[in-house]
Amino acid sequence: MPIITAQDISCQRGNYLLFKPVSFSLDFGQSLLISGANGIGKTTVLESIAGVRGLQQGRLSFKDQDLSKFKDDWFENSLYIGHKTGNKKELNCLENLRSFLQIQGIEVLEPQAEQALEQVGLAGYEYQMAGSLSAGQKKRLALARLLLVDFSIWILDEPFVNLDVAGCDWLLSVLDNHVKNNGILLITAHDNKVIKNKVTRELILEPAEL
Amino acid sequence: MKPFLALVKRDLTLGLRRKSQIYQPLVFQLLVVTMFPLGLGSGAKTLALIAPAVIWILALLASLLTLDQIFKNDYDDGSVESYVLTSYPLPLSVMAKVMAHWLLSGLPLVLFSPIIGMLLHLPSSSYGILMLSLLIGTPIFSFMGSIGSALTMSLKHGGLLLTILVMPLLTPVLIFGASAVVESALGNSAAQALLLLSGLLILSITLIPFAAAAAIKINLE
Repeated sequence: MPIITAQDISCQRGNYLLFKPVSFSLDFGQSLLISGANGIGKTTVLESIAGVRGLQQGRLSFKDQDLSKFKDDWFENSLYIGHKTGNKKELNCLENLRSFLQIQGIEVLEPQAEQALEQVGLAGYEYQMAGSLSAGQKKRLALARLLLVDFSIWILDEPFVNLDVAGCDWLLSVLDNHVKNNGILLITAHDNKVIKNKVTRELILEPAEL
Repeated sequence: MKPFLALVKRDLTLGLRRKSQIYQPLVFQLLVVTMFPLGLGSGAKTLALIAPAVIWILALLASLLTLDQIFKNDYDDGSVESYVLTSYPLPLSVMAKVMAHWLLSGLPLVLFSPIIGMLLHLPSSSYGILMLSLLIGTPIFSFMGSIGSALTMSLKHGGLLLTILVMPLLTPVLIFGASAVVESALGNSAAQALLLLSGLLILSITLIPFAAAAAIKINLE
C-alpha cells in the first residue's frame, strides 16, 4: 500500500476547477514533479497537499487515513516550503531558523543551526538580519530547515527560484540524498530539464474543461 | 521550548526591535489628550468629569492602531505557516500571539494611564481602579482584535474593515470599563463594573482563540 495516495484531486477558484482532476500515489523513496503552465494551480495543489488550504475535490490519504480528517500525523511527518519564505526581516539568520522550527515544536540547538547555515552557504551571516539578505540568500535560509528536520515528506514549491548555479547543484544533491534515504519528495519546478530526469514520476496539470 | 513560549518569545523580540508597536499607541494617546483642554476651554472640573470616558476611549482607539498587525505580518511573510502546518493546536498559538500583542501594546497603556489621568485632572484616588480596569479590559481588546486581524490579514488595507468589525464588539468593554472609573471617582464601589469586565475577559480567553483559529483557516482557503 502506497504511503500517499491522491484520488481525482483538484482545486477550485471561485466556482470552476483549476485543472483536470489528477491521481497519483507515492511510496517511500519516490518523488513527484508537478508541472504545468503558469496559473494552472501548481502552488494551489501543493498548498492543499501540505495542508495550508483545504482540498475542494477528491480524496487525499496518508497511511490509509483520510487527510481531511486526520492531519496531526501528517504534520509531524511533512515539511512544506512555499513561495513565501517565512523569514522575519527583523530577526537574524540563526533566530529565524531556530524560532520557525521551535514554533513547530522542533528544538534546534545553536551549533546545529550554525552547521545548517554553513551548509547552505550562509556561513558568516549568522547574525545578519534576514531583511538585509538577497532573494537567493533568503531562499537558502528557508531551505536550511530541510537539514534540521528528519521528516520523511518534503513538499517544495519552486525551490530553485532565485538560487545561483552552485545553489541549484547543492539543492539537487540534497533532494537526491533525501529520496535515496527513503524520503518522499513533492516538488514544482520551472526549469525542470534536470529535475525531470531525477524524479520517479511527473504529473502534468491540464486545464479543466469548462 | 514549548511552541507556545517560542511564539511569544519571537513576537516579543520582533516587537522590541520594531518599537513602533509599543510607542505608537502611547504617543497617540498623549497627543490627543493634550487637545482636550484646548478644545474644551474650561476648567479642571469639566475635565475631571469627562476623564473616565476620554481615557477609555483613547485606550480603545490606541489599541485599534496596532490590532491589524497581530496576524498580518505573519501572513505577508509566510511565517503563519509555521503555526498552521503543525500538530500543535492553532487556538493555543492564537493565544500566544494575543499574549505577545497585549504585552507589547496593552500593558504600556495600563502603565501609562495615570499620566493620562493626571493630564485630565482625574482624582488621584481613582488611579488604582483606572489601572485595574484597564488591566482587565485591554487584553479583551487584543483578543477581539485577533479575530478581526485573522479575518482581514489577506487584505492590503484591512485597517478600516477591522475597525468596523471589532468596534461594536468592544463597546461593552468601554461601557463597563469607563463606568468602573466613574463610580470610583464618585466615591462608590466599582466592584460591579469590574466583575462584569472580568466576565468578558474570561469569555474572551475561552472562546476567541477558537474563533480566530477558524478565521485564519478561512483566510488561507
